Amino acid sequence: MEKLSIAMISDFFHPAVGGVENHIYSLSANLMKRGHKVIVITHGHPKGRVGIRWLLPSLKVYYIPFIPIASSATLPNFFTSLPYLRTILLREHIHLIHAHASLSSIGHEGILHSHLMGIRTVFTDHSLFGFDDAASILTNKLLVGNLRNVDAVICVSHTGRENTVLRAQLFDQDEKDPTKLTMRNNVYVIPNALIAERFQPCPPPPSDILTIVVISRLAYRKGIDLLVATAPRICARFPHVNFVVGGDGPKLIDLLQMREKHRLQDRIELLGAVKSNDVRSVLARGSIFMNTSLTESFGIAALEAACAGLYVVSTRVGGVPEILPEDMISFAEPDEDDVVRAVSEAVEFVSAGNHDPFVGHGRIKNFYHWDHVTTRTEKVYEAVMKSPQMDLMERITRTMGLGQFAGPIWTIILIVDCIFFMFLEWWIPRDELDYVQSSWDDTRFRNVVIGQTLGDGPVSPPTALTTIPPAARPLSLAPTAGLHGKPGAQSVHCLAMGARLGAAQ
Amino acid sequence: MVRASPSYADGTMDSSISADEEVSWKRVLWKTQPYPDNYVPPEVFLASLQRNAHFQPYTYWPLVVLACTITQHIAVIFVFLATFVNLNEHLLDPRTLVWICVASFWLTGKTGPHSWKHTNNYSDSNNNHLKALKSSIMMFLTLIALSPVLRTLTAATSSDSIWALSAVLFILNILLADYTATNARGEAHTRLTSVLSMNAAISASVVLASRLATDVSVFALILFAVLSFVLYPILKPRLQALSTSLWILITASLCSVCVYLLTPLSTTVTALCAFVLFSITFIAPILIVWAQQYKNNIRGPWDVAVPKVR
Repeated sequence: MEKLSIAMISDFFHPAVGGVENHIYSLSANLMKRGHKVIVITHGHPKGRVGIRWLLPSLKVYYIPFIPIASSATLPNFFTSLPYLRTILLREHIHLIHAHASLSSIGHEGILHSHLMGIRTVFTDHSLFGFDDAASILTNKLLVGNLRNVDAVICVSHTGRENTVLRAQLFDQDEKDPTKLTMRNNVYVIPNALIAERFQPCPPPPSDILTIVVISRLAYRKGIDLLVATAPRICARFPHVNFVVGGDGPKLIDLLQMREKHRLQDRIELLGAVKSNDVRSVLARGSIFMNTSLTESFGIAALEAACAGLYVVSTRVGGVPEILPEDMISFAEPDEDDVVRAVSEAVEFVSAGNHDPFVGHGRIKNFYHWDHVTTRTEKVYEAVMKSPQMDLMERITRTMGLGQFAGPIWTIILIVDCIFFMFLEWWIPRDELDYVQSSWDDTRFRNVVIGQTLGDGPVSPPTALTTIPPAARPLSLAPTAGLHGKPGAQSVHCLAMGARLGAAQ
Repeated sequence: MVRASPSYADGTMDSSISADEEVSWKRVLWKTQPYPDNYVPPEVFLASLQRNAHFQPYTYWPLVVLACTITQHIAVIFVFLATFVNLNEHLLDPRTLVWICVASFWLTGKTGPHSWKHTNNYSDSNNNHLKALKSSIMMFLTLIALSPVLRTLTAATSSDSIWALSAVLFILNILLADYTATNARGEAHTRLTSVLSMNAAISASVVLASRLATDVSVFALILFAVLSFVLYPILKPRLQALSTSLWILITASLCSVCVYLLTPLSTTVTALCAFVLFSITFIAPILIVWAQQYKNNIRGPWDVAVPKVR
């Protein structure tokens, strides 16, 4: 397909960490690998992270100076980001925006404004929401209005798609039977993926102790109550089973109390928050992974554990039953007795030596790959670019169809948005914009960096140095050679500097 | 076997559909399926959606019986207000009210321990009686000591503010009160809101009492407030659990007392009160029964599961 300029818009991006953040980053990196131009637009962060920053594989990130109000999300106000978005989208020659996460208001604003500049819209929903509490009702209403005129919606699991279709009313009612719903044909399912190479299995440590690993945010939704109830029973039943729990959260105190009450300090290890780089090393300590989540859209943690060669026991909730074949994961109902049953079976199965970590890893490597995800996403982009763009009148008619009250309100928002846009066209005319003339050129970057390497030796990695024949080394490299020969020299110099500074004070 | 319908199979999306028609679509993510990503068989889509699961429609008369608890609460407030007006206008001798209150205390004390706690032997119940007697004597003495202070508490405040303040506090009391019926064992669990509600009512009676002329009437009114806003709400769920006919009888008598006390004071207020009590008891349940047709509760695999922990 022809190469596109894509803008990923979401409130959730680096330096915040999480599933959505990772997804956006990996998808952008892989799209760039396939020759598309990708930028990311997100809100600023305290201590001056505003403006343009570059992330490693030449990913340009715009941090708009908005302040997040709660959980890294900005206040939903429909117009404030239009001046920023208009300038960025125009100067970067964007063809398509891709908004992520249903609680990201900046993503929704992107969907709302893009049609003004003839830009197409795609939305990815990452999580599951209920229907029956006040917060859900409110956010679902917002979602219905925002996704009324979106060009395509991507969900990460089939359960997630059903949930999103119901929440955002992306269905048409059957004329014969009004209770029967037919989904619109622009709602796609593209799962998340993982980098299998980063979750290499390793053979279990040669000891009789069997370790069960739990890595999860310690919150109610992650079913920590089930863990608190079942862990002592499992410990009592199998004297050779230990637990390692990674993660932090409000339920940590419950775990600590449980550990104290049952005197299991030496058998249940609480690690606290685990950095995403350390996940693999924590997983490598165990042979069974336990996931007690009460709701899960995709269940990436269970997938990563299975990839690292652990036997996975999970609760049968949300999209988890879809991620792995039945023979690679064992399920329990979210019920204390059933979790104990499933974990006991798993312990017996693994203790008997029936589980081979390398087989599972080999299979998952073929199931999930970012290349697949990227090609599938590309197909969505292609379908969107080929579909006809809606004109304003059609948008207004569709928006009015939202309902007796919501329809006029959303139509007013749409029209005010158009007027605001016209004002901006007059205020900051397009020919005064500072357009991006040239984009990142990776080969040129490599050339320049290697050229720099020759110039200033100390910053270069040693591998680059060794490739250069000794005779070709310029004279300026001489101190570097000394550094490589005597690692202590530099630190002695630093110490001397420190001493001099101390004396000056 | 499921076949991709033409409306979903966008020709550009996946050309291998026709080649691989034998493979049926599965609701899994790990498998690469020969269907476009926007395809879902219509019969599989939302198959696990449940509408109004475990839904038991309400019927009219049980709702009326349940609504009686709200009726009683409002009737008690109106009775209290009528008593206050009578005291304020010197139509009621405060000593009569004190004796009525003492008699009620004695009655609740007599029936109380048996219905509140299941005591096994006689001496234990005797002990409880003694304790109850002691604490009620303490309370009487404290209230007597406090009543001169309470009488002049808001002397500097104009009466208009007092009426407004007490109205707000009583409305707060009505809104926050705990109207839940207890379970079969008669266990009530106190919530924060019910405590707040009780406090609002007591504060309202304190500010009203500060409008009265004599110490005895202040004492009588506060005593009556404790009886009707602290002790009666504790007793109410147990009465409800006891028997339905007794429950209805109590509601009816409370309403009649309320109307009887209000009639000589003001016809408008009496009419208003009667209308409120009638509509809460008989019309509000009709509305709930009617509104049930709009109930649309959907459940599916995306809902947060409820962990079963023993």
